Amino acid sequence: MSRVRLYLSNDTSSCAAGAERLAEAWRQRSEVELIRTSSRGAFFLEPMVERDSPDGRLAWCHVTADDLPKILAGDGGLPISTIPFLSKQTRHTFATFGVTEPLSPEAYQAHGGLAGLRTAQQLSSSAIIREIKTSRLRGRGGAAFPVWKKWDVAATTTADRKYVVANADEGDAGTYCDRMIMEGDPFRLIEGMLICGRAIGAQAGYVYCRQEYPKATACLHDAIRAADAAGWLEFDGRRFSIEVVSGAGSYVCGEETALLESLEGRRGVVRARPPHPAQSGLYGQPTIVSNVLTFATIPNILARGGSWHASMGTEGSRGTAVLQLGGRVKQPGLIEVPFGLTLREVLDQFGQGMADGARLKAVQVGGPLGSLFTDAQLDIPICFDAFAQADAILGHGGIVVFDHETDMLELSRHLMAFVADESCGKCVPCRIGSVRAREILETVQAGQATEADLSLLAELGDTMKLTSLCGLGGRAPYPVLSALERFPVEFRSRLRS
Amino acid sequence: MLGSMRYAVKTLPPNDLVDLLTRARPAEGAPPNILRVLHAIHDVCGSIDPGFIPAIAQSQGVTDADVAGVLSYYPSLNTQPAGRHRIQVCLGESCLANRCDLVVAAIRSQLGIDLDQTTSDGRFMLEPVSCVGNCAVSPSVRIDGELHGRVRPSDIAGFLDRYR
Ligand code: FES
Repeated sequence: MSRVRLYLSNDTSSCAAGAERLAEAWRQRSEVELIRTSSRGAFFLEPMVERDSPDGRLAWCHVTADDLPKILAGDGGLPISTIPFLSKQTRHTFATFGVTEPLSPEAYQAHGGLAGLRTAQQLSSSAIIREIKTSRLRGRGGAAFPVWKKWDVAATTTADRKYVVANADEGDAGTYCDRMIMEGDPFRLIEGMLICGRAIGAQAGYVYCRQEYPKATACLHDAIRAADAAGWLEFDGRRFSIEVVSGAGSYVCGEETALLESLEGRRGVVRARPPHPAQSGLYGQPTIVSNVLTFATIPNILARGGSWHASMGTEGSRGTAVLQLGGRVKQPGLIEVPFGLTLREVLDQFGQGMADGARLKAVQVGGPLGSLFTDAQLDIPICFDAFAQADAILGHGGIVVFDHETDMLELSRHLMAFVADESCGKCVPCRIGSVRAREILETVQAGQATEADLSLLAELGDTMKLTSLCGLGGRAPYPVLSALERFPVEFRSRLRS
Repeated sequence: MLGSMRYAVKTLPPNDLVDLLTRARPAEGAPPNILRVLHAIHDVCGSIDPGFIPAIAQSQGVTDADVAGVLSYYPSLNTQPAGRHRIQVCLGESCLANRCDLVVAAIRSQLGIDLDQTTSDGRFMLEPVSCVGNCAVSPSVRIDGELHGRVRPSDIAGFLDRYR
């Protein structure tokens, strides 16, 4: 009897949703050939099982082990192309997710992998950087700095050694696209780092991966070993080594200079800038620090040309936005679309509204430092400039939806307590300001605060915004003050009369 | 920490520590890396005995204060002995929106401990964590290596039963 090939994601979230249980149950079944892939990111449908058909892949959703006979008989499978959550997306960086085996160099190349690196190998350093400039790619980690400018500085600075560092400290709660890349398409990250390394003339690369991602760490180790065995870790006849380094639970280590301190084995304390890492970074040498998604976007740009990338998106935000939907929506998952859709369109078209019984109260975009939006504010286009004008951030693309039961005062306290815990302590406004702000919110919760305390909170927030050394203290007041402004009753009704 | 002295502490035999520190010694001319050594010890023991600080400092050519500073800085480096099973419950915003507070309450009431505590028999330690990247399938609870998604408070008893 011939075996039926079934595809099942090995992604952390797929497994947490039940994929691993299916794998265990079916491992011994002789009629099944199980291929473990990455996830398509439609997590609300997982665990999901696929098989080939003349019309492309068919999917079975919310599968239990008992569904096997049905799947083997081919009953009830849904063509992937008919799942609106997926068909409405514009997948480029995430195009092969759910399709291939993440750790197979052959599969990576069969789906167009290494085409970007091959192009880069034919180009001079300045021609590579010109291509990135044409693409108008901005960093996807939060700061949205033009990528080519950093590369240009690092390339034109003379130094003994130069480094490429992938920031895989995806610390913003509500975000998971970097984790998905490291587990599901690690060669794309490696290829992006190699292209950067060649452009700036670097000898070594590091991936600083948060400890909360054990599977991503393991996948990267394996992928680096496989890439090395395939002879990919070199250019211009020189070796380019890549090493994975684990973080240790500190959120601020996602800030690039704190990350470099941590990479050197010290306390992850923020460094004052300038100099910027592109001039003087790891061990004082020119270093490009970019997040995983940014590096993963690079191979397609080299393979298809900078103007291809620049043709998508909005004036100031070219290319695709990778959004991660979570919280109380009906369809949480990963979404890749050109910049420019509004937040409401994303929530309606992809999130399909709220989970059963829930009503929307607030949406937080960009992690724990991101501003809160109410229903009335959702018509904002997803792009860097519109968000900056609204005093908000896209950050790493995390979108968390809160329902009507959410206590906005408690959420504000939670967010400020997080900053107080995670502050590296280097600058006073963040170290002390976050603690005082948390205390004020606790006083409000205890029914002991007055109007004067709320004014003090706003004033303290302004000081933190203006004088903190990095984005942690500088952004911390935004969600809290936006909650205070948009849900004033929840604060004022708790004041001492 | 509740009854932290009443159960066996996993520690490193002195020779193993010496071996590990020798291997971690920076190569000639290379800079020290304190965090790397601490990780190596933590991976073996599940926590770091502060009594190791002078030996670590010596191996890296740094001061005791340098090592103590790094050790105290990072939240996931424990200095208290670890429980046999580590329960990490996510308090990140997506889990919060999906009512992880109820999950925390269920664990607390069944184990009789609070966050950052260990049960008196050393069986479980309960740690908060801020996002494990499982936000689309939240709320999330990780027990040892195993991550559970879409956790309901009523799942907790069944989970805990599987870990002795
Ligand atoms: S917020 Fe809990 S897994 Fe991301």
